[in-house]
Amino acid sequence: MGRKELDLWSASVLGALGILIFLGMWELLTRTNIIDMFFLPPPSQVVQRAWNMTVNDGVLLVDIRMSAMRVLIGFLLSVIVGIPIGLVMGMNPYIRAMINPIISIIRPLPALSWIPLSMLWLGIDEQQKYAIVFMGCFASIVVYTTDATLRVDPLLQRAARNLGASRLQVLLHVTLPGALPDILSGLKVVLAIAWTCVISAEMVGANSGLGFRIWTAKEWSDTSQVLVGMICISLTVLLLDILFRFIEKFLLPWQSKD
Amino acid sequence: MSKPFMHFNNLTMSFTTRKETVTAVCDFDLKVDKGQVVSLVGASGCGKTTVLNAAAGFLLPTTGEVLLEGEKITAIEPRCGMVFQSYALFPWLTVKDNVAFGLKMKGLSRKQRHLEAQKYIELVGLKAFANAYPSELSGGMCQRVAICRALANKTDVLLCDEPFAALDAMTRQVMQQELLSIVQKSQQTVLFITHSIDEALIISDTIVVMSARPGRVKTMIDVKLPRPRDVNVQLTKDYIDLKKSIWDMVEEEVRSSLKLTKRAGMGQD
Repeated sequence: MGRKELDLWSASVLGALGILIFLGMWELLTRTNIIDMFFLPPPSQVVQRAWNMTVNDGVLLVDIRMSAMRVLIGFLLSVIVGIPIGLVMGMNPYIRAMINPIISIIRPLPALSWIPLSMLWLGIDEQQKYAIVFMGCFASIVVYTTDATLRVDPLLQRAARNLGASRLQVLLHVTLPGALPDILSGLKVVLAIAWTCVISAEMVGANSGLGFRIWTAKEWSDTSQVLVGMICISLTVLLLDILFRFIEKFLLPWQSKD
Repeated sequence: MSKPFMHFNNLTMSFTTRKETVTAVCDFDLKVDKGQVVSLVGASGCGKTTVLNAAAGFLLPTTGEVLLEGEKITAIEPRCGMVFQSYALFPWLTVKDNVAFGLKMKGLSRKQRHLEAQKYIELVGLKAFANAYPSELSGGMCQRVAICRALANKTDVLLCDEPFAALDAMTRQVMQQELLSIVQKSQQTVLFITHSIDEALIISDTIVVMSARPGRVKTMIDVKLPRPRDVNVQLTKDYIDLKKSIWDMVEEEVRSSLKLTKRAGMGQD
């Protein structure tokens, strides 16, 4: 028997139902004081809080924008630097052998461990946030790009040379587009890492952003604001993921047509 | 005597691995005239592919040389277009852009190269698929695109490395006929590797039987059967006799090659 697949419509209905049941239970458990509201406010209160923070003082939108900008700038910087290095490493075994150890040393370091140095060097400015994101993403992007480049079928590079392509043309017209699907799926993973970096950096030292908002709320034992912040992170990451999928479809039209 | 169009002049190709030096091809000598279809048959591991790679300039000879119109091939040679068994189409390009790839590398404008590609796509009857991606095509269609791509690049010699081996038997027969009609229209010289004696008999002007490793020319047979070599020709006594005599020669080489690989304890190339 084959695995049963649901159509999109019934899957969405069931998904929504699951969320409703989860929220209902949560509301019930807190309203009946089985769970103390001080530790976990009911969803209705969280929603109201989110509404206030958005409509009344607008602080939430500013936080989302600040965090998103930090993620995007830090991420783009690491893409701009990481992809060319990865490509060169994928194509040249000598350069690969030389750079690999450095990357292997940087890669296991959690972005959090860069916070002390980055604060000493850059304070708590925006640049420090970019630096944290960059350090968290850069090595992974290099590794993903190198692997993607190595996975391009050498026969295609051969065929291109046979059709008169120079080495540079092979790089631009064969290796790069051939590696692109794997590079993009690597970038999707790294984008999620970038968010972790920003939130941590904001919790330690910042004046704005979702991480900052959550951390200050904790100081005031304001659990609903903590939850609002957490939900916002989740929704923003989901939204970016959807956006990324559109970019993927646009860049890889040949893959969606299977 | 006039200069041959393509000349493998005492070609020897050796490869050094960590353990030993293997001579894949030894004193391979072959002259090919313009417009000729020449097949290379022989036991697997006899260096057929090595000969093609030398013609394309992917590998350089240890001794001897490959001459194209009197000029020595010393680097990758776009005038010798390869058609690979696994097609090697660029999956991210449409049929049209695959065919136009070589022209793009030459710097032709988009309009020019698409116009040129269109001609070849129509030649092989894929007009309706010009904007399709390779993943949407059948194996036979992919191979037609690959042949087109080589032709559009204005090749002088088409190097085919078992191009139809991955196709089913029926598609294969159709493709053989199509290749011939394309070749006749475009006056191509073809160097064709195959494992199938029938395939060699159907398409070739000349069949070269290669000896087991190290590969050299064992026999050259000019195939004088009438064209097109359809089923009727394939049932004539001439055809069957020729097939038998080629098989006898190949069989001998296959047996000695089997002994060779057994002794060396290694597989095929």
